[in-house]
Amino acid sequence: MSHQRGSDHSLEHDEVSSLIPWYVNDTVDVHERQRVDIHVATCAVCREDLAVQNRIFEGMEAQPALDYMPVASLKRLQARLDVSQARSAAPQAPPEPVRRETWRGGRMAASVGALAIAIGVLAAGRWVQFEARVKEPSYRTVTKATLRPPGEVIRAVFSPTITLEELQHLLDEAQLKIVSGPTEAGVYSLASNSSVAVHSSLQQLRRHSAVRFAEETVPEPESGNLP
Amino acid sequence: MTLPAKISPKERDSALLVAVAAGDRRALEELYLGYHRRLARFLSRFTPRYENIEEIINDTFMVVWQNANDFRHASQVSTWIIGIAYRTALKSFRRQKNHNGERSLEDYPVPTVDPTFDAEVHDWLKHGLNQLPVEQRLTLELAYHMGHSLEEIAVITECPVGTVKARMYHAREKLRQYLPALSGASPDLPSRTE
Repeated sequence: MSHQRGSDHSLEHDEVSSLIPWYVNDTVDVHERQRVDIHVATCAVCREDLAVQNRIFEGMEAQPALDYMPVASLKRLQARLDVSQARSAAPQAPPEPVRRETWRGGRMAASVGALAIAIGVLAAGRWVQFEARVKEPSYRTVTKATLRPPGEVIRAVFSPTITLEELQHLLDEAQLKIVSGPTEAGVYSLASNSSVAVHSSLQQLRRHSAVRFAEETVPEPESGNLP
Repeated sequence: MTLPAKISPKERDSALLVAVAAGDRRALEELYLGYHRRLARFLSRFTPRYENIEEIINDTFMVVWQNANDFRHASQVSTWIIGIAYRTALKSFRRQKNHNGERSLEDYPVPTVDPTFDAEVHDWLKHGLNQLPVEQRLTLELAYHMGHSLEEIAVITECPVGTVKARMYHAREKLRQYLPALSGASPDLPSRTE
């Protein structure tokens, strides 16, 4: 009989003991709270444990002395979202399920991707030549106006293997942000994020092996200067 | 999006997440700013470097942005978001551990000392917490700092309730060994850094 009482007490002790952390953080229900109160009144071990857990709880409540910068962090998230959305909107971006396709399908997708990149690089190269030829345009058609994204200072083509994180890191270093792109040719329009000179950002980009092409764009002529 | 002035934090979170699922970037930003401090504090328990904390928070919100449509409102939005942060943090921790091995105890940030809380106890607590495996440390943080219930922690960590209980049990047992000061004994305290 006394053995039975002893094992009952032991069971109650173990169960109440496991409730103590949740009693301390006030997430137990009313019945569990009463159960702990009753047991603790007669159990010195649980009473002492409750005191210890209360002290740990108090200690962990104290806020760490860290400087949080939510707005700066949010800006970096926004830039990542911009890149992500630009990529998903790009017509040549390989659709997600391709990764789960067969080896053969993967090879085909890779070939198509490589072709798209080659076309992109070629188109970018042509664009450079074109830019050189028309550096001082003598005329401008009004029926086919250039749709240049606002703030664009640099156009760039990145390696298709660059990850979002690398791209974001690279843009942060060069203090640039994506304002448009990628185009069908894989060209991104970049705007300056700060007062840093464009040529500094350009040099920063060109130093990186994942940058296939980067060129400063010719300033847009004032509309009043149009012939 | 415009939310009614009188709305509970839970309703606010749910409304924001519905907007996020519809592609509303402003709603995501609002949710981000509302959770940043809480997540940063939580994540500071296993990485002292702010840039790592920020990366995990931003990875978490990329997942929120991409998967908001999948949230079925069966649990609270906070439980869902903190669960994503928890799993992202564990992945990051395991990756770091593979690269760098275990980190030094001194890498951890020192919490601001509550003037009513004994400085020696803080020392013991800091050392004791740093000795715990990351899952046990985060379970304590979820319960004692963030105030989550046993069931909520089970959802956040995607573990059975029994596992959470076991982690909490082992965390308490280990802390008891490291924290004799908490039980009123007069331990030989580690030498304080001047």
